[in-house]
Amino acid sequence: MSTRTSTAEVEIEVDKRHVLRRIGYKDDCEPSPRIATLITEYAQLAQQLIKPSYSYVIRNVDMVRKRDVFIGDLVMFRSHVIARLLEQCQQVGAFLVTIGDELEKKTTSLADDGLILESYALDVIGSSAVEKIAELVETEIRKMVSAQGFCISRRFSPGYCDWSIRQQKELFRMIDGGSVGVRLTTGYLMMPQKSISGIVGVGPSCVDIETYNPCRTCNKRNCLGRR
Amino acid sequence: MADDILKLIQENVIQGRITKDDEGFDDGMAGQPGVTELIETALAQKINPQDIISKGLTRGMAIVGEKFEAKQYFIPDMLASAQVVGAAMDILEPHLAGAGAKAKGKIIMATVKGDLHDIGKNIVSILLRGAGYTVKDLGNDIDTSTIVEAVREEKPQFLGLSALLISTMANMADVMQALKDAGLRDKVKVVIGGAPVSEEFAKSIGADGYGADGFGAIRVVESLFNANAA
Repeated sequence: MSTRTSTAEVEIEVDKRHVLRRIGYKDDCEPSPRIATLITEYAQLAQQLIKPSYSYVIRNVDMVRKRDVFIGDLVMFRSHVIARLLEQCQQVGAFLVTIGDELEKKTTSLADDGLILESYALDVIGSSAVEKIAELVETEIRKMVSAQGFCISRRFSPGYCDWSIRQQKELFRMIDGGSVGVRLTTGYLMMPQKSISGIVGVGPSCVDIETYNPCRTCNKRNCLGRR
Repeated sequence: MADDILKLIQENVIQGRITKDDEGFDDGMAGQPGVTELIETALAQKINPQDIISKGLTRGMAIVGEKFEAKQYFIPDMLASAQVVGAAMDILEPHLAGAGAKAKGKIIMATVKGDLHDIGKNIVSILLRGAGYTVKDLGNDIDTSTIVEAVREEKPQFLGLSALLISTMANMADVMQALKDAGLRDKVKVVIGGAPVSEEFAKSIGADGYGADGFGAIRVVESLFNANAA
């Protein structure tokens, strides 16, 4: 069995352009001076509040049977979409990233004070920041496996497609949430909320793995996660 | 004179300016009175608080809604205006009873069990206050039984339910069933919203309405209110 684990704290820079795009301001559309100033101020505040850290593990895919994927003795993913991806892969990379809970505490206190604009701005900045860490981990895994001539798929998280959010429990068997301060609620949500968990498929069949996109054959046109 | 000040209140809602120190959506407005100063002036001039709401705040927010739908305004611009309405209502609400004004109705708002998201619900709550409704916000991750008990005790005309997750929107159906079981379903109009929710889903669980966004929610509540009043 091949197992590689990495846990680390990292530094990231809040990307204001990325934040503005998440809000809806496309490249040809600028915010009003007031909103631009607000985003700048709260990006600076966020920089002090976020504590980015991540953990990931790469494990062999032991067996895929219909919609069930077996990884070691303890983990079983159950999803047609994930099974179709991992039957083309030799390994799976499971990751967990977070910015900690300080930012969302501040977001809540701003909302409690009636400052919903400021609360919203900080919330979007937090979402942007955690997405940046997920991208960073994805890049790190890609670099690592490319040495073996392997490629990685796009990211998938419990709650995507037919992969139930309850399967967070299986994912957390692969990664120690405590190592980055993330726990699951009884409803399988992550606390801190500004956390992302998921997998990437890893294998030598680059064309099949990199282009795998279940959205192409899915009829849910209004799906929020459509790619 | 009253029309002038109400027009200024409306304009400052659109600009998202609470006080004279605030910049507006457009440049060069800092230093001019914001909505809170204008409302104090209007009250000193004995302008009816209900007129301040309907001709100043609500009309201003209606224009903000049009700008939002035309993509001239984005969520932060809309929130700035909603925040102005919230600050304005803090000043006006104590004056409403004295002026003999009646709230249009009471609305209970909640994000359903298992869901911790509440920004969307908070936006709708402020917009509803600005439209003249009394809002009781139960918060997020609220048990079905707590929601049903609140409906029983508070006797609201409306119940607003929010969910941001596919996994938690099913809990809206549980609330609908629990309202039926408690014999309260015909006592309250239920309006639902949240990113994964749709008109079809609202119909499938027997809700009375669905708001695609904050302004959509207000439109649905207003139309149910008007249909009930007719």
